[in-house]
Amino acid sequence: MGDNKEQELQVIRRKLKELLVSHLSLEDIKPEEIKDDEILFGEGLGLDSLDAVEIVVLLQRNFGLEVKDMNQGRKIFYSVDTLANYIHDNKK
Amino acid sequence: MPSDSIAITGLGAISACGNNTDETLHNFSKGARSAGKVSLFKTELDYPVFEVKGFSQENKFMMRTIVLSFCAVKEALQEARLEGKLGDFRVGICLGTTVASQLNDTDFYSAYRDKGSAPMDSVNRYLKSNLAGCIAEFLNLRPKLCATIVNACSSGTDAIGAGLSWLRNNYCDIVIAGGADELNRVPYDGFSALSVMSKTLCAPFDRDRLGLNLGEGSGVVILERASLRGKNNFKLNLCGYGLAADAYHLTAPRPDGSGLENALSQALNEANIYVKDVDFINAHGTATHDNDLVEGSVLARVFGSKIKFLSTKGFTGHTLGGAGGLEAVFTCLGLREGWVPNSAGFENIDEKIGIAPVKERTRVSGKYAISTSLAFGGNNSALVFSRN
Amino acid sequence: MYIAGMGIIFNRGRGLDILEKALEDGWVNSGSVYGVPEEVLKDKIVLKDARRADDFSKMAILAAHDALADSGLGEKIKPKLGIILATAFGPHATTFRFLDDILNFGDAQVSPTLFSHSVHNAAVSYIASTLQSRGPTLTITQFADSFQQALILADSWLEEKRCEYILVGSVDQVGKVMEYIVSQKLKFAPDGKIRSFNFSKEPECIPGEGSAFFLVTNNQKDKKYCAISGVTSLKEKPDLTILDSDGFAGDESLYREVLGKGTLVSSCAPIFGSMLTLSSFSAVAAALMLKKQKFYASPVRENPHNLNLCVENKAGKINSISCLRYDCNAKSSIINLRN
Repeated sequence: MGDNKEQELQVIRRKLKELLVSHLSLEDIKPEEIKDDEILFGEGLGLDSLDAVEIVVLLQRNFGLEVKDMNQGRKIFYSVDTLANYIHDNKK
Repeated sequence: MPSDSIAITGLGAISACGNNTDETLHNFSKGARSAGKVSLFKTELDYPVFEVKGFSQENKFMMRTIVLSFCAVKEALQEARLEGKLGDFRVGICLGTTVASQLNDTDFYSAYRDKGSAPMDSVNRYLKSNLAGCIAEFLNLRPKLCATIVNACSSGTDAIGAGLSWLRNNYCDIVIAGGADELNRVPYDGFSALSVMSKTLCAPFDRDRLGLNLGEGSGVVILERASLRGKNNFKLNLCGYGLAADAYHLTAPRPDGSGLENALSQALNEANIYVKDVDFINAHGTATHDNDLVEGSVLARVFGSKIKFLSTKGFTGHTLGGAGGLEAVFTCLGLREGWVPNSAGFENIDEKIGIAPVKERTRVSGKYAISTSLAFGGNNSALVFSRN
Repeated sequence: MYIAGMGIIFNRGRGLDILEKALEDGWVNSGSVYGVPEEVLKDKIVLKDARRADDFSKMAILAAHDALADSGLGEKIKPKLGIILATAFGPHATTFRFLDDILNFGDAQVSPTLFSHSVHNAAVSYIASTLQSRGPTLTITQFADSFQQALILADSWLEEKRCEYILVGSVDQVGKVMEYIVSQKLKFAPDGKIRSFNFSKEPECIPGEGSAFFLVTNNQKDKKYCAISGVTSLKEKPDLTILDSDGFAGDESLYREVLGKGTLVSSCAPIFGSMLTLSSFSAVAAALMLKKQKFYASPVRENPHNLNLCVENKAGKINSISCLRYDCNAKSSIINLRN
């Protein structure tokens, strides 16, 4: 079971990185260069509040997930890892 | 350059809070808030809005923004006793908007996308809908200067500020200035996507505020050099304007509020007054978390904890390009009438802001008042008004 | 007010050198639309904090940046700098992309980034951030009179000392939808050539795009080019009149009536393409001619009304140039430049 989850997470993380790069116009970054545990906002990847709401839309469109409370979003949006876990645990 | 003071000789307002200034004052005094579901377009979303009611648009060809604006212009000209007399003067028209400047008709665009061709009706309407140009046409006027200001949510304020510059530089004798916007699906969807709209009635400066409600309307002032028509007993003046950029972010205000502070300090300097001279402030107060935190904190820092301030967006919603015009009119009404309404929607102080807006109808007896606007793109603007 | 610096981006590239070469070369067929090539909008240094910016904003950022750089005044004037941008149509390509989102995904799943870039003042916001300029910023839209109104306000701001320097400029773009609209409303020039001197009632156009910026000031010591001596009135006979008859604002027969006998005439429309903000581009060309004291041959020579056309590239004494524009309501506006 554990292996299975890790494999699924792997797939989600890869897809997420591609989506982040294309949706957020991260021109000079290749998806594989984003580390799984890299902090997305502020220090780290340097995303900002407009990226945060763009990620909300990205999750809706690609994973059918709604993040209604941006305070909850802060924890989920910490890194690709936390995002992938949230997607894995909540997708329908 | 004429050293004359700049008088405000006419006010016009139309919003969900009233289709003219009298109705507005009546609803202010009752604390009446008339928001409801969107009726102007179909939408999957469910955020309350402040639509203008009891207003029939005779000319279906015209953009709603233009018609709303013309209502406010007519009221303001009537009060200024300038109806039909503008031909005698060098007139400037300076109006702010957001929606009327955009070719954003979904029906046209979907037809174009699907078939590669589309009827030109909405394009023709757009090409005939330059706000300032259209008002000139409605008034049958060849204005000396005519400009539509598109500074997002501070457009109306900046249009009045530009009008002040025109008058001071003697380009014009009279300026019709303000702003207008209709409720439109594009900003409705856009603000929803930005997660800044509230599903409940907006609560500017409140601890538990959840975001803005959109509205629509137009506010217009008539500006003229005080000596233009000989002896007069005008009561209101426009004495200062400041605007400053955040140079920070497209959608978020600079957290330290220094852009707004710069705008306020310019406006006070132009008016040649001190902080202590300001009696009340009609704040931008959209009821979004960030705007109110930054703006409220700046007001507390600059004017101290005793300053009387309010947001009228609890009565009108956020009318975007119309907001600066409407709030300039409301500030003038406060000075003229000697009272301002409660800051509708406010209940609990936000300790992070540290000051609270007025909770009930409040007497104002001082000479000076300020209206502030903060916009997308980091524009900060402030106008100083006075009564004689 | 004096011009202390200029920046331009248009169909043939970016910068005053490219413009000078374009004026030397005259008309070259650039197709049915004079768009700005994608590679011209690449600049990793200037645009480093504008990853999300659309082409509309990028054009404006680059031209504004270049105007400030051209002045050599740099950092020290930033606290005294204002920005006024004129645009006839705004970032419509981004607005249409936002409408795509509404149509494709519904009201609830649209991109907030696209929405925030669809407002007219997004470009100015980017310019202010890029230059770290904290002065007043404003965007004006008035169709064919947009740039002229921006200049008048810039003059007012300088006179009342709201700021000491102003970046005043224009930006407009084409795109597939705008191209379609133009095709429905106006006539395209079938051979890609705007004939500015035909003065037709139904003239032909070639839509263009780009951005042109001036750094203006009342400080004479900072004058690098010439003075903008006024907008709206033709006071004296200039050494050259540049006609903005580009086929974009309807009936052009009026141009003929205002031209005095023997007035030396040219047009830059065939180089830049048709834009309601064309006057800003013509004014950059005019300022360059005044600086170089050099006439450039009119890029098109078809001259059915026997005007006194400027027909060769040659040095000459130039004191003043006027750029003349008629809008769709038969109202003329003139930008006067003099040394």
